[in-house]
Amino acid sequence: MPKPIRQRIADEMTGAALPFVAFCIALNLTAGQITAALKIPLYLDSIGTILVAVLVGPWSAIICGSAANLLAAAFGNPSMIFFIPVVIVIGAFTGFLARKGWFRKWYLVVIGGILQGVLAALVSAPISAYVFGGVMMAGTDFLVLYFRSVGNNLLNSVIYQGLASDPVDKLVSFLIVFFLTKNLPQRLLSRLHGAANVG
Amino acid sequence: MKANLDLPSKLSLVFFLWVCAFTLPWTFQVGLCLLLVIARFAIPAFRPVSHRSAAAFSKFILYSITVALLVTCLNALFIRSGNVVATLLGFSFYEDGLLFGLRTASRLILLSFSVLMFFISTPLTVFIDYLQSKGLPQYLVLMLLLTLHFLDHLPSRIHQIFLAQQARGAPVDSGVLSRTRALLSILSPLVLSSIVESIERGTALELRGFLSRPVASRKPEDTETRVNLLTICFYFMSLVIIAYSIYRWLNV
Repeated sequence: MPKPIRQRIADEMTGAALPFVAFCIALNLTAGQITAALKIPLYLDSIGTILVAVLVGPWSAIICGSAANLLAAAFGNPSMIFFIPVVIVIGAFTGFLARKGWFRKWYLVVIGGILQGVLAALVSAPISAYVFGGVMMAGTDFLVLYFRSVGNNLLNSVIYQGLASDPVDKLVSFLIVFFLTKNLPQRLLSRLHGAANVG
Repeated sequence: MKANLDLPSKLSLVFFLWVCAFTLPWTFQVGLCLLLVIARFAIPAFRPVSHRSAAAFSKFILYSITVALLVTCLNALFIRSGNVVATLLGFSFYEDGLLFGLRTASRLILLSFSVLMFFISTPLTVFIDYLQSKGLPQYLVLMLLLTLHFLDHLPSRIHQIFLAQQARGAPVDSGVLSRTRALLSILSPLVLSSIVESIERGTALELRGFLSRPVASRKPEDTETRVNLLTICFYFMSLVIIAYSIYRWLNV
């Protein structure tokens, strides 16, 4: 008989995992500070979620992403609350890939990152289009307007914009997590639930 | 039956405003946004809980005005259907784009306003406590509180690592690819130190028996058992608006 979701989350959140997930939520919220300091045109706002999905597990990653979006809304970016379904997909999909051993080989990480980007674009597009009319108060809004001005409908324009930006963002996030986990000492990794995913 | 604006009634108000954002015409939505701005100053329950919240609210008002103008103008400029409303410096603004921009901007601002009003007037610890009283597991409550701790310390830690790596000659000012690679030199020590800290904290929690201890069920507080009139009103109005919208949609 499959375990209830609450039990699965509790199984993952043992020992060092609980404070680590809390750190990753904070990392999701402050990643923008690092990219701004380095002047890199990427969001990397799901890097903590991906890290948790690999080192702890998918359920914790879902919790991590949802809590990060909830807190982002509380700290002055209210639209983030509507994108919780997107982070749920990111957490679940990355956790699934990690369990299948995709974070052991760099080429699988590249494929996984691109797939994740496409998936994130497809899930976020209907929310962005139907809830916000394609306007996310970001520079990428100009891309949506451009695609609309050349004759595409709103949903297609948002999907094209997402496909243009999300795969790169997720690919870089996946590669960073891959190199980070490769360089971590085994004695530290072994204290986390998903250490076998990167072994 | 009580009728004060407590946390559950504020949540029901957020739900009501979300319903309005998706069903009512944009003119009503603008009206509701203005009412929310007045409520922030007039109703004690909506007063910001800190200077930081008050600053976030003021910043959001300025941001909203800019976004509304930008979204409306850009859509009127790019979506070229309907009549030309105005021509400025050789650029034509079209009616359909203008209306779409107004609808989008007003919905975006109302949705954002509703969430922001809730969070600026509700201390996070109170909200977390409320979630716990509604059945949120104790370890998730601790996780949220730990996140607040990390959020306090992380920016200064990132700044410190950034300066250290810059001093060591990390390529933080060269091309985009080098800067992206420099990300690793900042994130590696950050993640490593966080795992070490997590292990220490996790061990401390385990030694105290936090994760194995059976959680005492919390007794629902007296205030939670009473029905709040405002909560009922907001949910009732939401249902009426939804029913009316469905009726109108079926007739069209």
